[in-house]
Amino acid sequence: MPKFLRATAAWRISIWTSLAFALGTALAFSIVYLVVAKAMQEHSDAWLSGEADVLARVSDDTPRDRLYNRVVGEVAELAAQELPDERNARGQRLNSVFFLELDPGGGQGSLWVGPGSKEPFQRAIDGATLAPDQPQSISVAGWPTTFRVVAHHDNGRTIYLGLSNRGTRFLLRKLTGRFLLLWGATVLMGFLVAYWSTRRTLLRVQSITDTVARLGSGDLAERLPEPVNADEISRLAQTFNHMLDRIQSSVNELRSVTDAVAHDLKSPVTSIRAALESALSNEPSEHSRDALCEAIEGLDRLLVLLNTTLDVAEAQAGALRLDRESVDLSGAIRQIIDLYQPALDQKQHTIELDLEDGVFIEADCHLMNRALTNLIENELAHLPAACRIAIRLSSKDGSAALTIQDNGPGFPPDIGARALERFVRGKHSQGHGLGLAFVDAVVRAHGGSARIGSGPSGGAVVSLSLPAKALQAAVR
Amino acid sequence: MRFLVVEDDIAIQGFLARALAEAGYQVDTASDARTGELKALEGIHDAFIIDLGLPDMDGLDLIIRWRSQGISAPVLILSARRSVDERVRGLEQGGDDYLTKPFALAELLARLRNLLRRSSTSQTDPLRLQAADLQIDLVRHEARRGDHLLQLTPQEFALLEYLCRNAGRVVTRTMILDHVWRMRIDPATNVVDVHIYRLRSKVDQNALIPLIHTIRGVGYVLKNA
Repeated sequence: MPKFLRATAAWRISIWTSLAFALGTALAFSIVYLVVAKAMQEHSDAWLSGEADVLARVSDDTPRDRLYNRVVGEVAELAAQELPDERNARGQRLNSVFFLELDPGGGQGSLWVGPGSKEPFQRAIDGATLAPDQPQSISVAGWPTTFRVVAHHDNGRTIYLGLSNRGTRFLLRKLTGRFLLLWGATVLMGFLVAYWSTRRTLLRVQSITDTVARLGSGDLAERLPEPVNADEISRLAQTFNHMLDRIQSSVNELRSVTDAVAHDLKSPVTSIRAALESALSNEPSEHSRDALCEAIEGLDRLLVLLNTTLDVAEAQAGALRLDRESVDLSGAIRQIIDLYQPALDQKQHTIELDLEDGVFIEADCHLMNRALTNLIENELAHLPAACRIAIRLSSKDGSAALTIQDNGPGFPPDIGARALERFVRGKHSQGHGLGLAFVDAVVRAHGGSARIGSGPSGGAVVSLSLPAKALQAAVR
Repeated sequence: MRFLVVEDDIAIQGFLARALAEAGYQVDTASDARTGELKALEGIHDAFIIDLGLPDMDGLDLIIRWRSQGISAPVLILSARRSVDERVRGLEQGGDDYLTKPFALAELLARLRNLLRRSSTSQTDPLRLQAADLQIDLVRHEARRGDHLLQLTPQEFALLEYLCRNAGRVVTRTMILDHVWRMRIDPATNVVDVHIYRLRSKVDQNALIPLIHTIRGVGYVLKNA
């Protein structure tokens, strides 16, 4: 069975409903079977008792002469022929009847009318204890089916009349066979219908899931189709659309607020910066030159802080605008290490790279670069000199795993797992506590997750997990 | 060279006009899209500097409108938005450029020069670059200071090449990151300074005259004294 089939709810639902249906019908059939079997036995028992009476009377009325055996024998034969003439494929009669009269005191011995010799029958009757006039099933050596036998004691004689159960069994077998055939067919039909209808329904749910997943944090304009018939799934789609309307309006509101904040702050900063720059170009004194430079550098830092704060706010609200393209993660990391190598060398850090090639993600290249540089800058800012930083990238089951591990002092215990939150930073940190919050927000906006922890021998570990694209064979 | 600045913020408009005039360009200004369009239709400008958030029209729509009217001079877009719109990036591929506020004047001038160079087709890529006694052979990937062959890593070579192409003009850290590493990031650490420091130790160490100079608060310049 293919794996994709087992994973679908339609498959499981149809299996369970079919199983329940099969069990229920099988139970119903068993009850019918028992009732029919009982009715048939009662029918043959009634016949046996009646015929035994008749034969006993005939035996009483017939004088015990030479013709006795013939007369009683004929009557017994006729009785057997009263039964419907059921024959099997080979022409053998199915209702085998035997008649045995034992006369322990009479000189006639016994009278036997029946198929074959009487010995096995007599042995079987002797072996069983038969209550008078109570039909009972006994098995006879050499016969595959049991016989229903009634004993009738009368005037010192005993009459045994037996009827093979073969006919009953044949009928019941035929019944069971037909049932099994029909049962199999209906269960199969039921399964197919159940699978088809649940699959159809669940495919609509699947399309809702696909659409909502595609929406992600990017374009929120898409809406689910709302079918005209107002069943549960249409209502689900409607509810989703209403929710999307609300999310879209709050996201748009947040974006316009952050844009307004950015615009209102940046325009004056631009003017101030330009004024400082032009003052700087007019050959100022050494003292005012330093002050001007510090003012410009301060402004630039302020802007970076402002931008990052707004980005983190947007990303945490799922309102970050992503311009997705295919990004080669190992290539991006190598490029960033290339940029930071001298800065890392300066602090005597060593870098160990263990990067799997050909891991592609659908990401906003600029945001991802900023997130990755934040991780390296974090190491540069917090590690003492001469540490080892290991960067590992691997992909498994459609997700890319990136871990950055160092052998430094690790995250301060007072921060713990809150290092990914906004404005959380260590006591001795020079940063704003935005770097890792930004990384977390960007990774989340791309449908991934970020975790921090400590390595086996201390040191900080940051692990990112991002949904990877299927490997591109052409690229490898 | 004559530019048109369409910007509603009077302070920014004023210093842009001053800075461009100081750099030797002629400048016209407009405070809204309507006035801007009237001036642009005169057809005398070599480039436009347009703010995205104009009071009467979105800057992008204005550019699209101008293009349909046959106004084809390159545009430098100024944006106060934080994330750069895909449509703006699209324009970048179409030969225009963008700059986010606030910006260093040096970067604005550099981007303008770049735009003008791209729009004039006669310019061919040089095979050699020269500044004072520094010579860069772009074909053989070799840099010499006088007779001395400099041992440079590929990134150091790319950095020196970029500085030399802009010899005499200030380049900012953002411009270096954008052009040499193709990354638009705002590092909080001195990552670019470390690269410059290393490069300087190789280029200027045994020379009488230093070539690579730091302009505090702005960036770097490669020039003869």
